[in-house]
Amino acid sequence: MNKYKIMSLLSLLITASLVLSACKGASESPTQGSDQKVTSSGYVCPAPQFDVKVTSKELNIFVWTEYIPQDMIECFELVYGVKINRDEYSANEEMYAKVNAGGSNYDLVQPTDYIIPPMIRQGLLQELDHSKLPVMKNFNSSYLDFEFDPGNKYSIPYQAGIDSIVVNTDKVKDVPKSYADLWNPEYKGRMVFIDDSRAVIGIALLTLGYDVNTTNPTELEEAKVKLQELIPNIRVFDSDSPKTALIAGEADLGFVWTAEALLAQQENPAIQFIYPTEGAILWQDNWVMLAGAPHADAAYAWLNYSMQGDVFWMMLREFPYINPNDAALEFAKTDHPDLYKAYMDSSITNVPADVIKKGHRSVDVGDAAVLYDNIWVEVKGGN
Amino acid sequence: MLKRLRENKSAQGTLLALPTTIWLFVLLIVPLFLTLVVSFGGRSPDGNVIFKFTLDNYARLIGFSTDCAAGQSTCFDPLYLQILWRSLTLAFNTTVLVILLAYPLAYFIARANPKQRSTYLFMVLIPLWTNFVIRVYAWMVLLRKEGAINIIIGTIAHWLGFNFVPLEMLYTPGAVLVGMVYEFLPFMILPIYTSLEKIDNSLYEAAADLGANASKTFAKVTLPLSMPGVVAGTILVFIPVMGTFIVSDILGGRQVILVGNLIQRQFLDARDPAFGSAASLILMVLTLIVTYFYTRKFGFGEEIVAA
Repeated sequence: MNKYKIMSLLSLLITASLVLSACKGASESPTQGSDQKVTSSGYVCPAPQFDVKVTSKELNIFVWTEYIPQDMIECFELVYGVKINRDEYSANEEMYAKVNAGGSNYDLVQPTDYIIPPMIRQGLLQELDHSKLPVMKNFNSSYLDFEFDPGNKYSIPYQAGIDSIVVNTDKVKDVPKSYADLWNPEYKGRMVFIDDSRAVIGIALLTLGYDVNTTNPTELEEAKVKLQELIPNIRVFDSDSPKTALIAGEADLGFVWTAEALLAQQENPAIQFIYPTEGAILWQDNWVMLAGAPHADAAYAWLNYSMQGDVFWMMLREFPYINPNDAALEFAKTDHPDLYKAYMDSSITNVPADVIKKGHRSVDVGDAAVLYDNIWVEVKGGN
Repeated sequence: MLKRLRENKSAQGTLLALPTTIWLFVLLIVPLFLTLVVSFGGRSPDGNVIFKFTLDNYARLIGFSTDCAAGQSTCFDPLYLQILWRSLTLAFNTTVLVILLAYPLAYFIARANPKQRSTYLFMVLIPLWTNFVIRVYAWMVLLRKEGAINIIIGTIAHWLGFNFVPLEMLYTPGAVLVGMVYEFLPFMILPIYTSLEKIDNSLYEAAADLGANASKTFAKVTLPLSMPGVVAGTILVFIPVMGTFIVSDILGGRQVILVGNLIQRQFLDARDPAFGSAASLILMVLTLIVTYFYTRKFGFGEEIVAA
């Protein structure tokens, strides 16, 4: 009797899973024959603006978690008939370690500014052929030609942002004004932090009055001791979705990225983003192509298509960081005025000029990277 | 050729063992050897392994920093020993809790109506159909400040007129312990069940005939005869808990650092495979030592392995 019950339960489960997987398969496969290319969410894909020949059937990308809209990926797959294989990481150092170990077979990676120089030094990247990147004209020049890659020989911008303080003003009376205020013992066990070594060591250095890119071992040792005092205030390190802890009420304050703050604020208006008096930490994420990328043609097609204005506007909807793409902002202005207004009205995304001017940027620290890495492991292991 | 093979028993044995031997050599022995070689090396600032012979990594693990001159306040820092000790105590606590929870359940299943036994065992196995990581995430939903457990307690407290402050359970060492116990419970229930189920009923009758009451029967008959199951289960639980890093990453909020997290981080965040290799080898040696003394005292639970 029981045996039959189990068998019937099993067969029911198997049937259910088959039906479910069939549904999934159907939604993923494009509707062949029709002119319009429509994603599984019903979004009609724009036609490519730049003509790029693609013979590859696949594209391997290695990107930050929660950073590329699903419609963007599906549209590219439908328009070019290329299958995108996506792997994700949640720290630059993690990405670097995996790419540097070799044998990864990725075409495109999304490093943040300071990690690009060591990647170039190690010969991990290939120079970009700008004649194949007409999309370059879409970018605002203030996001180009940085010290980490003069002339954008190896990289093109994706999105930019700021690591700063968020606070739930319903729960916290004593609102912090500076990075130094985060050491307030009242915040014990109440903060969510991104799991980002350079940013977190950076705020300890700023609090002590040092440069965020110091290579002086004595200053770094001081920063380590200072950080050990901050650890009791941190409830959770989360680089995948730090907003969740804020929205779920698990944390009342945080040190997070731009879009995470904005999305948390949209859920709970009491959540505010604060630019610290020491000057905030600024960063920019970029696309780079790995040396020996197996599908370079598809990679160029992806860069051009995903960053054309009528595609890249999606970032305002899903991952609202600072958008370096003027064409995307123009498109949003006319076609999605509500998103554009929200973007322009928020000081989180439309950053005041003096914040940028006073801001600090992490750069490659060369040999001192060892000290930074060790501090990070030792500070976090010590509670 | 085939005929000769049919007659040659030892050649047959070699042939049968060959695939596994190759498998073990390529995927266990060779990587282990590489780990050993790398553990004596160092790292370049850009995160490459420098092959040389130094004991620096091992010295650092037991607390003696090799860069004292470079601004270190003290030369001795027992950080990594603390992490090892934390992992050992967590593995010990998990194992003890799992035994305490698994034994009564296994006893209940073993003494149940044979028809119902398979249903119960089936229920024990159902959670294993879901991915390990997803089951850990499920605990996040339960343990949150505004999660299921707090909501239920809060509602009851509200009915009774108490003032209830939501408990902070997630991202604590306790949450990691709960997650570990939950994940590894089935690996203790099954071996204990197997050993209990094999106990001959006539032994209980004999104990009753000789005047033993229920507790005496349990102490003199059931417990000793089920020990092989407990031993096998302990090995199946203790060793994986020592090395797991996912539970502490998710339920500990990346705040509760175990030796598994330390090793994982050395290979990724810290870009120091040499130190990570040294830590892996120390973990293996430590686990071997604990297992060695444990099995010397209790055996491997061979009866279970044979069953």
